[in-house]
Amino acid sequence: MSHGAADPTMHPEVQLSTSKGYFLGFAISAFLMLVATFLVTSHSVPPFGLLMVISVCAGIAVIAQIYFLLHIDISEHNIWNTVALVLFIPLFLITIGLTWWMFSQLYLRTMDMSVMSSAMQPAVHASATPGMAAMPGMNAHTDSGN
Amino acid sequence: MLVDLPGGWSPLLGRLAWSQIPYANPILAPLFVAVVIGAIIVLGLITYYGKWTYLWKEWLTTVDHKKLGVMYIIIGLVMLFRGFIDGLMIRTQQVWAVGPHSSGVFGSLHGYLTPFHFGQVYSAHGLIMILLAATPLLVGFMNIIVPIQIGARDMAYPYLNALGLWITAAAAALIMISLFVGDFAHNGWFEYAPIFEMQYSPGVGVDYWIWTLQLVALGTTLGGINILATIIKMRAPGMSWGKLPIFVWASLSANVIALTSFPALQVALGLVAADRYLGAHFFTAGMGGNLMLYTNLFWIWGHPEVYFVILPAFGMMSEIFPTFSEKPLFGYITMVLASMAIAGVSWLVWLHHFFTMGAGPYVNTAFSVATMLVGIPTGVKVFNWAFTMYRGRLTFNAAMLWAIGALFLLLIGGMTGMMLAIPAINYMVHNSVFVVAHFHSMLLVIVYAIFGSVLYWFPKVFGFKLDEFWAKTMFWLFSAGTALVFVPMYMLGFMGMTRRLEYVFNTGWQPYLDVMEFGIVVYTLSVLAFFILLYVSVRDHAKNRVGADAWGTSRSLEWMTHSPVPFYNFAVLPHINERDEVAWRRQHGIDNVRPEHYEDIHMPNNTGVAIILGGLTFVLGFALTWRIWWLCIVSLLAIIVLMIVRSFRGDPGYIITGAELQRMEEEAYRREAQIADSHHSHPVSGGVVGNAMAYQRNDSSK
Amino acid sequence: MSSHASTVDPKKAELWDTHHHSHDVISTRTLGYFLYLLSDGMLFATLFAAYGVLSYQHSYFGGPTPAEFVKPWYTFAQTIALFLSVLAYGFGMNALKHKNKSGLINGMLAAFVLGVVFLVLDIHDMSHLYSMGITLASSGGMSAFMVLTQVHATHIFFGLIWILVMMAQVMTKGFTEETVGRLLTLRMFWHLQAVIWVFVYIFVYLWGYIS
Ligand code: HEM
Ligand SMILES: [Cu+2]
Repeated sequence: MSHGAADPTMHPEVQLSTSKGYFLGFAISAFLMLVATFLVTSHSVPPFGLLMVISVCAGIAVIAQIYFLLHIDISEHNIWNTVALVLFIPLFLITIGLTWWMFSQLYLRTMDMSVMSSAMQPAVHASATPGMAAMPGMNAHTDSGN
Repeated sequence: MLVDLPGGWSPLLGRLAWSQIPYANPILAPLFVAVVIGAIIVLGLITYYGKWTYLWKEWLTTVDHKKLGVMYIIIGLVMLFRGFIDGLMIRTQQVWAVGPHSSGVFGSLHGYLTPFHFGQVYSAHGLIMILLAATPLLVGFMNIIVPIQIGARDMAYPYLNALGLWITAAAAALIMISLFVGDFAHNGWFEYAPIFEMQYSPGVGVDYWIWTLQLVALGTTLGGINILATIIKMRAPGMSWGKLPIFVWASLSANVIALTSFPALQVALGLVAADRYLGAHFFTAGMGGNLMLYTNLFWIWGHPEVYFVILPAFGMMSEIFPTFSEKPLFGYITMVLASMAIAGVSWLVWLHHFFTMGAGPYVNTAFSVATMLVGIPTGVKVFNWAFTMYRGRLTFNAAMLWAIGALFLLLIGGMTGMMLAIPAINYMVHNSVFVVAHFHSMLLVIVYAIFGSVLYWFPKVFGFKLDEFWAKTMFWLFSAGTALVFVPMYMLGFMGMTRRLEYVFNTGWQPYLDVMEFGIVVYTLSVLAFFILLYVSVRDHAKNRVGADAWGTSRSLEWMTHSPVPFYNFAVLPHINERDEVAWRRQHGIDNVRPEHYEDIHMPNNTGVAIILGGLTFVLGFALTWRIWWLCIVSLLAIIVLMIVRSFRGDPGYIITGAELQRMEEEAYRREAQIADSHHSHPVSGGVVGNAMAYQRNDSSK
Repeated sequence: MSSHASTVDPKKAELWDTHHHSHDVISTRTLGYFLYLLSDGMLFATLFAAYGVLSYQHSYFGGPTPAEFVKPWYTFAQTIALFLSVLAYGFGMNALKHKNKSGLINGMLAAFVLGVVFLVLDIHDMSHLYSMGITLASSGGMSAFMVLTQVHATHIFFGLIWILVMMAQVMTKGFTEETVGRLLTLRMFWHLQAVIWVFVYIFVYLWGYIS
């Protein structure tokens, strides 16, 4: 192992910084956040469409940041970082997606949504009554797939 | 915002008080006295022989991956022993407390353990066995073997490696101290919501559980990063991916799992801590919490974790079978792909631990099918091992016996796992001892592989072999114990016996419980045999010395360097030409070619920082458990300051000159030549003729 | 697999490493650190999963919901502070590329100040909620909201300490292999905080505000 011979600032991972890249990463993501914030506050788009639009904003912003800031690409010096990231992303999606799926199915079967919305009234909050047992679960809105 | 504590709290000592020390407990008090006496004797002996400097310089401050690995393994074996004692206690309680007429002692209505104490014993048993016995043992082996097998001088981050070890040691110390100060969790090794909430478990048991696990998670994550980076960045020249020894592949896939899944555990525990310490409502019943969210988060980690522990064991088996079949591993590529597939699929199945949550037919079906998919790559592995042995020249020494035993257990555990993966069956046997028998079959695969590896790699690390007779005795006793304990357990599971009973209501089960008690006695004998094995082997070590290639038929790179491995591993790094480099060189008679000249090499310095940081994490864990806030702050600050100081100081390392290296190497070669002379009958370090057969079996000599 | 034909001629084979490859300490360090960051990403993914389960209407148990207290423009200011901090650090790294020490220090100082702005805004926000009686003990939903956002803030806090440490190291030790390696890992850490913040901002703050 030879050490310290080369100038560390000449290391390729130092050299790949560019002000332009960092600025682009900043500009793109800041602009998208601005758009998302504007749309949300102006209430001009219906909620579901709004969720779609801001999700897309988040997606593009993150891709821009990963590309421009974290320098994730397939060049020789970053290939392992890229491989690792590509292996991780499905796991992020699995963790969030499958969890969300199983609990939405569970709520469908165990929570009576009409009761739930009445639990939303502030009055109920004070007298912390409705545990799950108090809810007429399982009858009205259950599984349509069986 | 901080929650109300039941019982007292003082600013100085937190919840700690004299009443928390169980000095009146008829089991713990004598044990405590024994531990204190034992500790005094050990410390006294070290002082008497003046070994403190040696211990500090050579072990406690070392960054050498082999020594760290050995210490991991020692921690693992000690905790394995502790976990075994817990198991013995569980079995004894269950054979005793059967039916309303069974007697009770020590303040217990039935048997000798009160329900609260029994709960602590089985919770500690499970946690210890999986996370503080199996995990450190496997991490220890990966630490020792992986760098040598890829032809590196050390891990990618030697200092981080030491840190990982000492954090694991801190976790072990924390769970051990819970025996004598306060109590441990009593709701099972993976706990349940909401019983772990402050309201229902007001003691410190759950807190001990949280911080022990957090420390293990931290240590294992650090270790995992280290092994991954080592494999990716430190391979010797010529060691392409297709030539990696199979144990390295196994370690790679296992640590991919560790790195990805342990954060989920850390979050699950962190949120439990938020509930218990800050009054959050993640898992409370009511107030918008969700009980099953905890179970979900835990098993997101929990299932990958079981594959994290079994994949290295598979890797060990894949090293032992070829060596003692004198054939290359059958189906190298499929073996690699199977490891990766298992790692991938292990991420898609966690709901099978709570099918009974009732997420409905779609969810249960999807997870059931995904679970069964794991059987495909696992089956591939089983066939590969079988074909490796098929028409091989088998040596049934003790290491091989353990590996074959592991294969049998894998079949049993795998089959029962498949049964459990069917929701219709699972609803019947969930939380019965059938499940307990399933996962013990699986975890015993690991234990078998570990004992096989201890025998297999011991000569590499220490330079002499372990005693075959006692190793085999231990194997047969252990296997008899396994059959006697777990066959009845499967049967009881089908009869509907639920797990974790401190009182068994059905007297009809008594005969089965008797057999299991007999089994655990046989296990105890095998533990005894293990101690004798160690004693006899150390006593006779001069007779059992070995050269570089201890078995004469081995294949991968670790057998190329001396035994015991010098601290620099390889004086000159080898250039890799073939997949089984050592076997290839032996076959072509070039295994005795030495490097022509030696160059200077650079090695990292020892450091005391890692062990001090480990000690501080222990203090932090203890202070958090007992809510001694000032001590939390002090130890946390100390950790941060120490890390910053260390980062300013850095480590320049030191140089071993080529001349010095040459001197050490020549001495090692001289020693090996002597060993080869002293016992000709046994193929020690490979000569040309004697070992050519080891690579291809079609020419027969001797 | 004795069919595994050896392709190398054993007589001519190279047996020892004679070329003496130099070992790239910096990229070994950055790779390991990137792996750590990914596991940190998994930590956030799990927190998001928990937030997903605990952001149903019933999770708030009739108590306050993000829709009632999130102020999008306020949090947008936080966003810009963080993004600018990341940008400043990036400019600093560009100065490093040209061995410009004072440029690097200035960039890091700016990154530090902007990071502090982010954190102060966050603390102000949280204490405001606290004064209205909204804490993580209010309901399961609020627990998830608070923990997710404050775990991110904690990362920022430790990142700020780290920036200070690195400024001191650069000033005292200059550009050594170790300091440059650490500057690179710190760059990854700091930039990843911006990536995670995008998710926090969009899916916790903004989405909480509209639902
Ligand atoms: C062939 C692959 C496997 C299948 C299909 C499988 C299936 C299952 C299923 C369905 C359960 C849940 C049982 C229940 O609680 O109702 C389970 C539990 C368990 N399995 Fe496996 N398993 C497999 C391999 C393994 C391996 C390799 C290990 C560990 C090395 C393991 C360790 C465990 C543990 C520890 C539990 C129970 C944890 C507890 O409840 O305390 N399994 N397994
Ligand atoms: Cu599982």
